[in-house]
Amino acid sequence: MERQMIISVMSKDRPGIIADVTGAIYELDGNLADLNQSVLCGYLTMILIAAFKDTITPEDVIAKLSHTKSDIKFDALVKVMDTPVELMKAQVPEKTYILTAQGKNRRGLVYGISSFCSQRNINILDLATTLADDQYTMILQIDLSSIDSISEVRDDLAEYAENTGLRIVLQHNDIFRVTSEIAMK
Amino acid sequence: MRNEPFRPGRPTGIGKTIHSEKGETMLHSDQILATVEMIQKENLDVRTVTMGINLLDCRGGGIEETCARIENKIARMAGDFVPTCNLISRKLGIPIVNKRISITPIALVGAGFERGDFVQLALALDRAAAQVGVDILGGFSAQVEKGMTTTDREYIASIPEALAATQRVCASINIGSSHKGINMDALDMVGRTVKELAEKTRDQGGFGAAKFVVFCNQPGDNPFMAGAIHGIEEAEAVLNVGVSGPGVIARALERLISSAGSENLRLDDLAEEIKQTTFRVTRCGELVGRQVSKALGIEFGVVDLSLAPTPTIGDSVGEILKILGVDAIGAPGSTAILAMLNDAVKKGGLFASKTVGGLSGAFIPVMEDALLAEAVGKGELCLEKLEAMTCVCSVGLDMVPIPGSVDAETISAIIADEMALGMINNKTTAARLIPVPGKEAGDFVSFGGLFGASPIMPVRNVGKSGRFIAWGGRMPAPIHSFKN
Repeated sequence: MERQMIISVMSKDRPGIIADVTGAIYELDGNLADLNQSVLCGYLTMILIAAFKDTITPEDVIAKLSHTKSDIKFDALVKVMDTPVELMKAQVPEKTYILTAQGKNRRGLVYGISSFCSQRNINILDLATTLADDQYTMILQIDLSSIDSISEVRDDLAEYAENTGLRIVLQHNDIFRVTSEIAMK
Repeated sequence: MRNEPFRPGRPTGIGKTIHSEKGETMLHSDQILATVEMIQKENLDVRTVTMGINLLDCRGGGIEETCARIENKIARMAGDFVPTCNLISRKLGIPIVNKRISITPIALVGAGFERGDFVQLALALDRAAAQVGVDILGGFSAQVEKGMTTTDREYIASIPEALAATQRVCASINIGSSHKGINMDALDMVGRTVKELAEKTRDQGGFGAAKFVVFCNQPGDNPFMAGAIHGIEEAEAVLNVGVSGPGVIARALERLISSAGSENLRLDDLAEEIKQTTFRVTRCGELVGRQVSKALGIEFGVVDLSLAPTPTIGDSVGEILKILGVDAIGAPGSTAILAMLNDAVKKGGLFASKTVGGLSGAFIPVMEDALLAEAVGKGELCLEKLEAMTCVCSVGLDMVPIPGSVDAETISAIIADEMALGMINNKTTAARLIPVPGKEAGDFVSFGGLFGASPIMPVRNVGKSGRFIAWGGRMPAPIHSFKN
């Protein structure tokens, strides 16, 4: 029997972090299923899914990771996944939309838009933000599966945009796929 | 680890990526913002979704039976058409501006019928279009590039009354092709038809003539009106899409010029911008078209890449010419710019769509393009320059208001020149001339809505082509048609 674990790593960026982490998994006979990493202002965060024999515990993984030899240590968190995912079958939901919101930078912008989503039971699948000059841009990939009326969300968003002074556009994910990718599935 | 295709992107921290689960999509934020700009500021839409319907099986024993069969078939095939378009439009957040129907050329459907019967057919089509909520139906048409049958002559004779008596029906006739030459007898008849149509709709400024297009090399899958037909080479029913208008291209060019600075750009940079914007625009059209056709369970036909202007400010092909460097539309350089625009649009669009078809080029319809109309008023754009520009774009002399006093032979001869351009250059050309009754050059005519408004364009050398038109017969097929 195997069990899947989710491993989260955070560190100041340096050469060799990925090799250290994946090396530790390899030495525990683990099989890496997927990995996602991002660097923000010199700090790296990484999230991995790996399958181990059921004799391996999350504590073993933490112990192995902590034995890496480097001046810059990283923080790691390991959890057993309750429901192992069928990785190849994962797909974006049919009602995946991209919401962009742009406006003058100030406190609470991400909090505001994420609260808007949360109040309506809208799940944020992904979020990226950029700051250029004093303009803050948020791009959210959201799942509207639980929403019956997209028009209602649009109306609410229009009101939210009016109140906050943000420029908000909500478009279906497919639009961005077909306009940004070579292949059209 | 599962192999992921390598997707080059900017280093993290400069341009971020946004991914869904499992890298199913990986969209770059700068690309997302480019698309958002296109939708928000540039009024991206789908100009038309046109359902082509075969009516060849609707011929009944008599005219009443045939009309009933046509109305039934259109109601059956297109009953859900408009609601489905609206549903997909709402889901994707992209407006579908026009929902239209094209049909098998009516002269074939009504084989053996006479003039009065064709008027009845037009009325039936008008009712059918109204019933399914479609504003325009095209295909009150015939194809006579080599010769006319008895039915074709009856059909042509019916056009003025048929179009004057209906609201939604558009007529077109193919009188020439690169393969067969030009039917000069038909050409003579269409000049008179245009005059008569305008006269019959005198109280509307000759509006009837705006619903009638004369073609050389007419495509059977063009979704744009008034020249849409469901060609006999087509399937039972098919869905064709016309992409967004010139406004999107104009705004993209303006954005590039203001961000990069005109001193840092050369013409090929601008062509590249047009190409990339067209790619995105075409993809949106393709997506919408395919989803509508899937929902309706009918075949998807083509994406027509044509940039079709509307009288709305900021949706003008003329504006693109100005952005690209001429201060007056019709000034030297206008033809060259239009050639580049047309070419860049095709290059971007052809790669974006599985099946491109229809007319696929830039339209320069005078009344429907506010800046072209303005140039006519200022005397910057003359008929001859317009004709030259039609050599490098689609479609032809479109929505050109001319003085009501211009005689039928001169109109036929203007059409003949336009047909010759298409015949020799292996391209579609068309003429939609409106001799506005009681008005002269410089007077103003307005049809309102999408049909627009313009000062009347002067026509030189009126009444000097009568002997040419009087020959009749056929202009023989050009030499390059003999390829067997």
